Amino acid sequence: MKLILSTSNIMQGGRPSVIRQPLTQKSNVELITSLRSNFLAHQHIEPTNGSQANGNGVSNGHTNGSHSTKDHRNWTGEQNGALYIPAIDFSQPGLAEERSQYDITVKLFYLPGIPASRRCAHTREAIDLVLKELHVESIDLLIVSFPGILFDADDDSDEEDATATGEPDDFDSMVQTWRTLESLHEQGMIAQLGVAEFGSERLARFLPHTKVKPSVDQINLKDCCVVPKSLILYAKQEKIQLLTHNDCNDILPVGMTRELLGPTDKGAGILASAPEANDGIQGDVEPQWVVKYTAVVKDRGVVENKGYFALADVGTCVKSRP
Amino acid sequence: MGLLALGTPLEWPEAKKRAQQVREWGIEQLLANWRRARGKERDVLLWGDEVEYLVVSLDDAAKKARLSLAQAEILKSLARDEALWQAGSSENDANGEHAGEDPPHFHPEFGRFMLEATPGSPWGIGFKDLLKVESNMKWRREVAKAHMAPNESPITLTTFPRLGTKDDYIQPYYPPSGPALRSQFVPDEIANPHIRFPTLAANIRSRRGRKVELNVPIFKDQNTPSPFKDPTVNYDLHLWPEDDDVRNGAVKDDHVYMDAMAFGMGSCCLQITFQAKNMTEGRRLYDQLSPLGPILLALTAATPIYKGFLVDTDVRWNQISGAVDDRTPEELGEAPLKNDRWRIPKSRYASNSTYISEDPRLRKEYLDPDLVVDHDIKKRLMDGGMDDLLATHFAHLFIRDPLVIFSEDLEELDLSKGDHFENLQSTNWQHMRFKPPPSDKDDIGWRVEFRSMEIQITDFENAAFSIFIVLITRAILSFDLNFYIPIQRTTENMETAHARNAVLDQKFYFRKDPFSARAPKAPAQQSSDGSTFSSTTSSAINTPPPSPPLGPVEVEYELMTISDIVNGCTDGSFPGLIPLVESYLNSVNVDVETRCFLASYLDLIRKRADGTLWTGARWIREFVAKHPSYKQDSVVSEEITYDLIKAVNEVTTKEGRNGSVGWELLRGKKN
Repeated sequence: MKLILSTSNIMQGGRPSVIRQPLTQKSNVELITSLRSNFLAHQHIEPTNGSQANGNGVSNGHTNGSHSTKDHRNWTGEQNGALYIPAIDFSQPGLAEERSQYDITVKLFYLPGIPASRRCAHTREAIDLVLKELHVESIDLLIVSFPGILFDADDDSDEEDATATGEPDDFDSMVQTWRTLESLHEQGMIAQLGVAEFGSERLARFLPHTKVKPSVDQINLKDCCVVPKSLILYAKQEKIQLLTHNDCNDILPVGMTRELLGPTDKGAGILASAPEANDGIQGDVEPQWVVKYTAVVKDRGVVENKGYFALADVGTCVKSRP
Repeated sequence: MGLLALGTPLEWPEAKKRAQQVREWGIEQLLANWRRARGKERDVLLWGDEVEYLVVSLDDAAKKARLSLAQAEILKSLARDEALWQAGSSENDANGEHAGEDPPHFHPEFGRFMLEATPGSPWGIGFKDLLKVESNMKWRREVAKAHMAPNESPITLTTFPRLGTKDDYIQPYYPPSGPALRSQFVPDEIANPHIRFPTLAANIRSRRGRKVELNVPIFKDQNTPSPFKDPTVNYDLHLWPEDDDVRNGAVKDDHVYMDAMAFGMGSCCLQITFQAKNMTEGRRLYDQLSPLGPILLALTAATPIYKGFLVDTDVRWNQISGAVDDRTPEELGEAPLKNDRWRIPKSRYASNSTYISEDPRLRKEYLDPDLVVDHDIKKRLMDGGMDDLLATHFAHLFIRDPLVIFSEDLEELDLSKGDHFENLQSTNWQHMRFKPPPSDKDDIGWRVEFRSMEIQITDFENAAFSIFIVLITRAILSFDLNFYIPIQRTTENMETAHARNAVLDQKFYFRKDPFSARAPKAPAQQSSDGSTFSSTTSSAINTPPPSPPLGPVEVEYELMTISDIVNGCTDGSFPGLIPLVESYLNSVNVDVETRCFLASYLDLIRKRADGTLWTGARWIREFVAKHPSYKQDSVVSEEITYDLIKAVNEVTTKEGRNGSVGWELLRGKKN
């Protein structure tokens, strides 16, 4: 089974967790805390008499106002074999103004240890969710983050961090993935493509294999005034914009996913507490990808909508590795 | 300063008779304009900064620094150049650094020793624009300097340290005491000779019934006499009736006494104006920026010297407030109300007293219960369709009299103009200003002006503070931040900001939780298919039935240090303005170069707040204290002033690099 985790719009609605973390460090705190607070907000809904009256029959015998927040079926939704955590009403308008007013940037994190062969499907899946959430037909910029690449401003050689991921992401699979993105670009679904954490050497190796060049290279900088000169020059020459970010490389580890969804106090009570318990979904959980979307009103620089989706496979659905 | 219309100005007794007419016409113009412009939508973010300069002339032979009264000649020369620029034949930007930028605009100010400069065209939110601000400010300074005598330069100190002393601190020299200001310290020639300015000063004085009165507490150093009796005051002048003021107790012990508009309106400020997307957003920004006014005042503190003495306050604000205070003894509460309509607690130049946003988070407890409003005007506005909050705001501004009335303007009411409205609006100098679109310009939207900041010595600092405020507005709108506190606390904070070293030593009322828990606009909807999906829609969470009752207002805010407010509380309660801005920047696409620039600006503000870097006020105090000729008696002599101005010139160009003078302001370390 697929689990689709979502934060909804994290800019609005009083989510102090968004800010109260050390912001200068790259981190996945924003993702984790906003997921958690979105789950919590939904668990605390007391269904009103009015809204329960039209008989959707999900209260499972609980009386109104006293149903257990433990039963996740009260606040999650199932559709086409995927469990939405929390349930999402895609009929809600995504953006306040018309499409042309916005710059929509999407960053897709392919996660470590997930076979590159799935990326084609994953990309479609992630983009579709974002388009559906924002009620738009295209996005302006898609940045993809490949696992295991660490940008190091000190020596301008992006490293492949083999220890963290078990296996380095190989170059061919990146090129392969890029083909998928190029086809989405051709279909008009994505206006511009971008990569993350590429040093100048990797860019130079990568560009000849692309039909649609990346127009953005997003790098994380501890001190953003120390960018290797070679990268600046190369990016300028190739007309690639260097943008900054502060995202975590391993944005959603398996352990964290378990904790988020598990039966403990910190968890959402989706997963079973023990292999033989029937208080939740059984089986292994494996996060597949995370996508972040941001809609900024162009002429005013206002971030109107920002959120995350994450997809995890659970139980018998966890695909065996090829 | 507003537009400089020409005409025949009315002297106060005459102006007073026509005041009601101007108010009524102003309100009709406001209503007509409001009806026209209330539906304006989707205006883009445009913003502008205003930098004000003192023109200072250095006399190296005599070791004297003097204010130059050359404003008119400099402006004339600048205007000639601007005309050449327009014609495309100028060589002023041969190096091309400012290619594509419109030449800066220069404007007269109240002081004849002042200049104001604004960018040639407003800035946008494009991050490339943010990068141009500092270099544009430097360009303005260069252009201005190029039109001055070789020994003159534009400097950005808030006040000239020896304005109003007995020496020849102005050039050319005029002896004090003229018919308009009637000051015993400064001549009328100190003010811009345009008829508007002397009239403004004279009518403030006439309306008030005596000269304006500024008493600033003296900084007591070890050799300062105690009690300190301002030795520069002459009690034996008998030229004007107002010369009696000092004999009637205008001078306070332990204070530096000043008696003219020039001591306040001769100060330089850093003001920022934003265009909002529509009226609603403008009103929201007006409210949300208001509590930040005193915080930014304390952060930019740069005014420790008046009339040749170190004073015990760090900022200019209350001196300007006193310098244009036209309230009568009745309005001030010194005499029983007989002829005047009400007691008025604040000067026309003061912190603002209204919130105007129709925001569900605005609690009535935040409003000033004692706000003075003209109820007839409020009724007229509401009869004309304006809502209560906005009508209250303007009916509050319109409790004042118009000060400068040109008889030519009273012949016919022209509803397509805004002159009578602007007459009152532009002489209400509150720390926030809500500006309707100009009646005659369709391409300008609703604007908000942030007015509390002190000018900084370097353009780096001025750019940093300007950009910081712009980014704060973007964070306010993006995160839907809520900074509301009862508006009287902001008034108190404004006073607190005056204390010497308030930036580090004082605490300010500030809201603890800036995040709103407000319901989204879209109402909860059920889909009709009855699937599990519809049982709990994402919007339903935000309309929890019933809404929790609001707690007492007093628990929503507390006293915080500036560092807590800017950098965040260490206990994690208030997140901090800088972290909020950084969080905003992390949510938008910013290129590496821009982010690096922005980081250096935010770093300055962060370090000002935590004390790593000094404020201008502290740096000037230390400069005086360490000067070999300083006698620990609070006196800032001509010699010290000369050296200070030279040092300021050096800081402006070298910016404290490599241990040069002023490193404490900008670098925090000598190397």
